[in-house]
Amino acid sequence: MKAVVAENLTILYDGKPALERVSFSLDEGETLLLLGPNGAGKTSLLKTISCFHGEYTGRVEVFGREPCEARELIGYVPQSHSLNERVPLTALEVVAMGAIYRRGFVHFKIPRETMERAEKALEFVGLGGLGERLFSQLSGGQKQRLLLARALISDPKLLLLDEPLSALDPSARAEVAGVLSKIKSRKGLTMVITTHDINPLLDIGDRVMLINKRLIAFGRPEEVLTDDVIKSVYGPLARVIPVGGKLFCITGDVHLHRHGGGGR
Amino acid sequence: MIPEYLIRAFLASIMVSVLLGMLSPLINTKGLAFLTHALFHSLLFGAVLGMILALLFENMALVTLTALLVTLVVVLLIACLEKRGFSSDSAVGIVASFVAGLIVLGFGVLYSVMADRPYFPLSENIVSYLTGDIFLITISNLEALAVGGVLLFFLMLALYRDFLYLSFDPEGMESYGGNTTAYLMVLYAIVGAIGALIVQTVGLITLQVVAILPGAIALMVSNDLRKVLGVSLFVTLTVQLSSVALAYFTNIPPSGLATIALGIIYGALLIRR
Repeated sequence: MKAVVAENLTILYDGKPALERVSFSLDEGETLLLLGPNGAGKTSLLKTISCFHGEYTGRVEVFGREPCEARELIGYVPQSHSLNERVPLTALEVVAMGAIYRRGFVHFKIPRETMERAEKALEFVGLGGLGERLFSQLSGGQKQRLLLARALISDPKLLLLDEPLSALDPSARAEVAGVLSKIKSRKGLTMVITTHDINPLLDIGDRVMLINKRLIAFGRPEEVLTDDVIKSVYGPLARVIPVGGKLFCITGDVHLHRHGGGGR
Repeated sequence: MIPEYLIRAFLASIMVSVLLGMLSPLINTKGLAFLTHALFHSLLFGAVLGMILALLFENMALVTLTALLVTLVVVLLIACLEKRGFSSDSAVGIVASFVAGLIVLGFGVLYSVMADRPYFPLSENIVSYLTGDIFLITISNLEALAVGGVLLFFLMLALYRDFLYLSFDPEGMESYGGNTTAYLMVLYAIVGAIGALIVQTVGLITLQVVAILPGAIALMVSNDLRKVLGVSLFVTLTVQLSSVALAYFTNIPPSGLATIALGIIYGALLIRR
């Protein structure tokens, strides 16, 4: 079954297009790396798929349904620095947030079963033992992994990640990329990941999409990541370098570190 | 022998402190200072409108009731504008400017209605709305404060976690199935209703300060939720009770004393930082 289908999709803001005539499809279990410069329409596409933005023409479906009808199948992971850190919530409470809104309006107490699931989700992302720590006291990489745990506890079939590597140092990027790789191999979820730095994620990317207000390229990484395509978006200094059977993109935001997994 | 009016004032202070102590951290974490300002001004318009109705129908209970209803209508208007895509600040600004105009118009109408009716008790009432007069609290005021306060306290307590999540990540809350619009409207309604309930004890001029500073102080002292709530409650209670006691001996309005005390505590913490 197709996890995400977009046909001739044009996303509008106040009637003006942010992204025009995009068509692509993603199979269940595949990971799409969504690449493009600032203002290219990456977040707009993510918000449209996740039902946060409804002004568009064309067709978009998530597991055969309209985005807003498929909301319970979607786990949305925002950028950690977009959250309000003044709110004194512990890591466990943040993770539990992903599970409690399926039913009821009043959530005075988090059910024990939900807390146990939250603890397991924290362990899965490598944050076991940090459940009582405040969100504001975690490092950038830990916060991003925590948000992954929150998305996982809602049992999604599709994970949408908005620049999960942004504002992280190289080691934190590697940690987050490692967790994403683990999610792919152990849970087999479909993922759409927007990123400026594709290199730490190339090992898990089944498809790469390059956009800049419109679709520039879509396909397997080795098909899309060519000098010509990258230069058409990021300018003449951008390039793709094969190193030891792996591809590295130099787009102006580069971290040439390697991760485990097969090269392409 | 403690005078009965002083006992009533202490009891009212305790109830006000519990409500504001709980609410204040939420106002700070959700960033509702501007909204609080607008809501508390809508209380004044509601009070003026209520006084006009009270004069026309010769029923003083209409003052508080109208103030409460007007505040709730303003809450709904702001929430509707936000739902239509206005930013929170824009929605509050648009509604607040209408409310400000209506207050001026309302006073004009009130004066013309007062011209041919006995108005002395009402003139006292409008002053108590502006500066607060906790020593004029009656037994029936106290009963209304207790019943309304208990209801609002438990409503706030039941939804406290949801309000925190709403403040932390509204987009995330919505994506996981939470109805952010409904939570926001309930929170705004609670802010407005608490304002309407306590405005006569605290006073409109100082209401915003005593609603915001205890939470701001608590969030400076700690970032553990229990401690934040504890500090906010403790600060509000201490300041309210001591200002009533001090006002008894000095004849200075207690709301003014409470505001100055909170300002000094906040300022001292800022300097210490």
